[in-house]
Amino acid sequence: MAEIMTEEKEKRSFKDIIAAAFTKESFAKGVFTAFAAFSILAVFAIIFYILYDSIPAFREIGFFNFIFGDIWNPKAGEYGILPMILTTLLLTVLSVVIGSVFAIFTAVFIVYYCPKCIKKVYTQMVNLLAGIPSIIYAYFGFEMIKPIIEDMSGRTFGYGILLSMIILSIMILPTIASITKNSLESVPAQYYEGSLALGNTKNQTVFKVMLPAAKNGILAAIILGIGRAVGETMAVQFLLGGAVSYPTDFIIPISSLTSKIAQEFGESGGLHRQALIAVGFILLVFILIINLALWFVKRNNAVAGNSFFTRKIKESDIEHTAPNYKRTGTIQDALRIICYVVAVIVAAALMSIVLYTLIKGLPEVTWHNMFGKSFNSKPTLAPAFVSTSVIILISLAIALPLGIGAAIYLNEYSRRGSKFVSTIRLFIDTLAGVPSILFGLFGYIFFVKLFGSANLLAGSFTIVLMILPTVIRSTEQSLSEVPDSMREASYALGAGKLRTVFVVVLPQALPGIITAIILSIGRIVGESAALIYTAGSSFLMPNSLVSPGSTFAVFMYNLQAEGLDTKFLAYAAGAILIIFVLFLNILIMLLENYFNNKAANRKGKIRTYIDKLRKREAKNEEN
Amino acid sequence: MKKIENFNITGDVAISVKEMNLHYGTFHALKSIYMDFPVNQLTAMIGPSGCGKSTLIKSLNRMNDLIEGCKITGEIKVGDTNIYDKKTDLARLRKNVGMVFQRPNPLAMSVYDNIAYGPRTFGIRSKSDLDGIVEKSLRGAAMWNEVKDRLNKSALGLSGGQQQRLCIARSLAVEPQILLMDEPTSALDPISTGKIEELCTELKKNMTIIMVTHNMQQAFRIADKTAYFLLGEMIEMDDTKVIFSHPKNKKTDDYINGRFG
Ligand SMILES: Nc1ncnc2c1ncn2[C@@H]1O[C@H](COP(=O)(O)OP(=O)(O)OP(=O)(O)O)[C@@H](O)[C@H]1O
Ligand SMILES: [Mg+2]
Repeated sequence: MAEIMTEEKEKRSFKDIIAAAFTKESFAKGVFTAFAAFSILAVFAIIFYILYDSIPAFREIGFFNFIFGDIWNPKAGEYGILPMILTTLLLTVLSVVIGSVFAIFTAVFIVYYCPKCIKKVYTQMVNLLAGIPSIIYAYFGFEMIKPIIEDMSGRTFGYGILLSMIILSIMILPTIASITKNSLESVPAQYYEGSLALGNTKNQTVFKVMLPAAKNGILAAIILGIGRAVGETMAVQFLLGGAVSYPTDFIIPISSLTSKIAQEFGESGGLHRQALIAVGFILLVFILIINLALWFVKRNNAVAGNSFFTRKIKESDIEHTAPNYKRTGTIQDALRIICYVVAVIVAAALMSIVLYTLIKGLPEVTWHNMFGKSFNSKPTLAPAFVSTSVIILISLAIALPLGIGAAIYLNEYSRRGSKFVSTIRLFIDTLAGVPSILFGLFGYIFFVKLFGSANLLAGSFTIVLMILPTVIRSTEQSLSEVPDSMREASYALGAGKLRTVFVVVLPQALPGIITAIILSIGRIVGESAALIYTAGSSFLMPNSLVSPGSTFAVFMYNLQAEGLDTKFLAYAAGAILIIFVLFLNILIMLLENYFNNKAANRKGKIRTYIDKLRKREAKNEEN
Repeated sequence: MKKIENFNITGDVAISVKEMNLHYGTFHALKSIYMDFPVNQLTAMIGPSGCGKSTLIKSLNRMNDLIEGCKITGEIKVGDTNIYDKKTDLARLRKNVGMVFQRPNPLAMSVYDNIAYGPRTFGIRSKSDLDGIVEKSLRGAAMWNEVKDRLNKSALGLSGGQQQRLCIARSLAVEPQILLMDEPTSALDPISTGKIEELCTELKKNMTIIMVTHNMQQAFRIADKTAYFLLGEMIEMDDTKVIFSHPKNKKTDDYINGRFG
């Protein structure tokens, strides 16, 4: 038999001792820590650079004139953003209220009322709604809803808060619905059984016991929805109309913070551009506040949530409703009907968006439109294929190692409950909450200036920051599901940490990593606001990594913005996008099933095994 | 590359524990332990739940290092080497003092790779060497015939008893001098338990085995020495026959004869 060897050197010189301090193990730990800390750096860089480039504007215009001024007229040198701030706030409040009500009913429907046979499909549908790119919502609102508003109101233009609010509520619905669904599902089953056992009906149980018990999760979901609504750019830029005035009417052209940046950034220069960056800074401040609020809610969740609810439910709901001996619960019965209605509306909304995009776009998906040579005067989508693929590849090539390394640090190296780790998590969450338009601004200020032009590399680097939180979280989730006993087994055999992590633990995190890749591709493909000013807009085939290139979504934006007679290409791009997003969703579903089945097989075995043990114990007791 | 040395075990004592105290944070889990584990014999450790058996066995190959807030004082020598010395090479320690856990914990790999994992850690790459080790270890754990046709199947698909014997085989693959077993049969059915007991009787001809068990008959059947633990203290250690027939300490007597509680 072979001798068992180690790589250690025979003699230990002074050099070796120094080298020992820099072993592979400690070096790797340093690298992982750095990767994890990268999120902190990224958030600070974004804040710093956007602030730094806004300072000239604040100086020149005067901070108070800027914030409280009511006229925005760059040509006359007037930069007041109060109307936009108010528009953003009003639009956010309205769409979050509508969006959350619909979302909560949708989630309740999925968890409690959805027939088993369509539950999976319906859930997947809501996920699909989340995956549809902003730019497609923008087109849908512009071409389908705006005319309806114009007809019904009799006005020339249907732009404004009403139109944006409708689309925005659909857009934030899936975010809120899926988190609400998760928190409903994690309410202990005893609550449900306990309430039924006391004579409550199912509807009473759902609306008086389960929903209140998921309150904190729902609150977090709503805050997340607020963040998305405040930051949404492309759709509202298409639908608000672009004029600047106070939101005195629901159907007048108007601007929000984000829509103004997207609308004017490309053509701006000098103080005008600085002022737009300053608008971005104000937006960033809003987002940071929202993130902090979210952080507080989540923290309270972890500490006080459960005991509080247990007590509350015992005293108020279960006991008070039951001993009444009257047939109560008509309100809840009505709520249940609303659930079904909402579910149908949501499904109808999704269907109409998908069908609209496909019907308009599929006829235009021709060989020439897709792969023909592209000219500025007669563009085709061929460059979009190349640019999209290049950006996906480069950004994943950077974000994956970075994100996986960070996840490894968080799950394998960090000490439980350390301050450093909770700080890192806070910053990862913050990064995840930064809206794309701000990534775009940062990418423009940092990468585009670094390269001297907007190009594929600058775009990809910007995207890295955007998808990093997804990669980290998804990988970390998977890592945390690897049982500790396997790590123990590895250490007990004399393996070091590095070998344990890479050979034993990481291969099992594969499902999380694959999910992260698919989710990231979905985000990249649908992204427009972060890429327009970083990857540049061009109808030409990029010929190197430093030439500008437009992805499908950016293509759609450009074709609308430039008002060319080539809108048919935008429809084609939309159809391709929708099909691709659909494909990704199905892929995720299949993978989930595959991995779940695998896990279930394993669990099944463990279960039969536990059953055996029980039987044995029972026998022992008999004897 | 240098060969990983065995521990120099010359006398009758494989591991000696002296004045050993262990704290989990502020909790004093092991109190002033003195024990000598004899070479090539099977020592059983018994005692009620929570008395510190697992804690002790884990500190013999420093698996306790993985637990935050665990502090150990005193001396534990494997042969003539103090394993809590600063210079201790953990890889060397754990190669020579193997461990089998209460719950079978195969790695999520094939049967073959599970066995080869240890040797590969120590730089063995050649396929023929590994093949040899895998076969020898599986034979050593008396399961070669059961699994020789499914070496490339996932180890997670084996039955619980097979998984546990695989874990033993995996420990044998790095040729340990001492094998620690923490309730290796508590999750197994009587037939698998019997197989593992047989295996231990076979293995102890060439290696020292230290085993925690809750099953008193098991200790009686296979252990040469038995140690009784209570509330973090080692109450009594002696030949198994003596412990079970005339224990010197009354507490041991109570426990053995079911008057504990
Ligand atoms: N990681 C830990 N942190 C804090 N205390 C611990 C830890 N592990 C064990 N303990 C405590 O140390 C004491 C001894 O635990 P140990 O697991 O060694 O008991 P045991 O004798 O193996 O019990 P069992 O027979 O149930 O396995 C127990 O009181 C336990 O609560
Ligand atoms: Mg134990």
